[in-house]
Amino acid sequence: MDDITLTRLWLMRAGFAALILGLIFYQLLPLETTPRRFAGPDLVMGFAFAWVLRRPEYTPLVLTAGLLLIADLFLGRPPGLYAALTLLAFDNLRTRTTGLRAMPFTVEWLTVAAAITGVILVYRLILAMLLVPLPALGLQLMQLLMTVLCYPLVVLVTRFVFGLRAPGLGEVNALGQRQ
Amino acid sequence: MARDRANSDDYTGPLKRLLAILLVLILTGIFLVWRIDSPRVERFRAQVTDKVLPNFEWAMAPVTATITLIRDFQSYQSLHEQNQELKRELQKMRKWKEAAVQLGQENARLLDLNQVRLDPRLTFITGVVMADSGSPFRQSVVINIGSHDGILDGWAAMDGIGLVGRISGVGNNTSRVLLLTDATSRTPVTVQPSGQQGLLVGDNTLAPALEFLENADAVRPGDRVVSSGDGGVFPAGLLVGEVATDPGGRMRVRLAADYERLEFLRVLRHHGAERILDPGKLILPETPPDSATAETTETEAGGADG
Repeated sequence: MDDITLTRLWLMRAGFAALILGLIFYQLLPLETTPRRFAGPDLVMGFAFAWVLRRPEYTPLVLTAGLLLIADLFLGRPPGLYAALTLLAFDNLRTRTTGLRAMPFTVEWLTVAAAITGVILVYRLILAMLLVPLPALGLQLMQLLMTVLCYPLVVLVTRFVFGLRAPGLGEVNALGQRQ
Repeated sequence: MARDRANSDDYTGPLKRLLAILLVLILTGIFLVWRIDSPRVERFRAQVTDKVLPNFEWAMAPVTATITLIRDFQSYQSLHEQNQELKRELQKMRKWKEAAVQLGQENARLLDLNQVRLDPRLTFITGVVMADSGSPFRQSVVINIGSHDGILDGWAAMDGIGLVGRISGVGNNTSRVLLLTDATSRTPVTVQPSGQQGLLVGDNTLAPALEFLENADAVRPGDRVVSSGDGGVFPAGLLVGEVATDPGGRMRVRLAADYERLEFLRVLRHHGAERILDPGKLILPETPPDSATAETTETEAGGADG
């Protein structure tokens, strides 16, 4: 492992953190103060899943957990629950990385869609069980749908803006591990 | 390939699994602590916002301004029509202004005659909106004044015209304003000409519902809605909006504040209305006659025996 790959590894990790923080920052801009009838995609989750399925070594668990908790704190959600569920799905996808790589993109898309649906369903279920006021169902369904529909776009941005693609056969990653 | 993976993951795999489980447990723990002791964690959230958000103000303000500029630019296309319309409205406004000035003078004269003492403590602090809630599920904004400026939880926030919301979460230099449109917002109001008391219930729409009216028939669309001051959180008489009915026949309130552009908010200093707590006392002569006292003690004793 030489210096260049190590620098690149940490640069990309910093890039991931900057991307997620930038997304939260953009959402916090006071552009819309009227209630919205339209919910956009949860891009934080979309990008986290897209990155981990391409280069898991750029998205370390501790960093991702921290970023998800920050998102929870700033976006007014009950802190911890949404982050914990997203991290579970994230870790689950991380173990599937190698298996999904050989498959066509549609399989990856379906897997991610299932993961997102699972996160939101369990989130609502736990909130309902603990008698926490639930967010509006219609808006949340719209957010779920938008996140799934935007996933290919997120992957394209990941591929062409950040230059992330799945390593080829026998290629070593930045940590010198063979994928 | 599968064997390669198995080899390289022999040691790191289970360890990472363990780490993931540990992190999920920590996050779940934070959530449970929030569920059990919500105020403490919410205070922590307010402090984090307070520490972090002011550092990004240099970036937030120009980005917001640029995006707003681009949006405004689209409306320049219909500039001429708008201009004509504004001129017409200005004509109407002149007439109203004249009426208002006359009424103002008359009101001042009448107040003077009655020697009414208006609440002198109702002063305000103006803050700038720094950020919104960032989520379509919650309606709140963060303003750049906090406990450093003497802001307290529960104070009313207004724009130039009407009530916008109340302070909910105060940091040192920032505080969060829960808007009337948020699904958790409940505000006691009075509908003006009829004097009906009701509750303004936010439901994530631009026009919150008006509920728990004593007599809904006495309320008509177009009636003025002001805060009633019940519960002692808001001062009474702040303009909220006017009554309207939605297609489903439900009473709603069209808010007077301009929610499209919340830029500057006034926070009213309000230290709670003084309340009359004890019932009126019986006014007795200072030294009651001896016979009367003796009689009462006797009857009391008898009552206790029986």
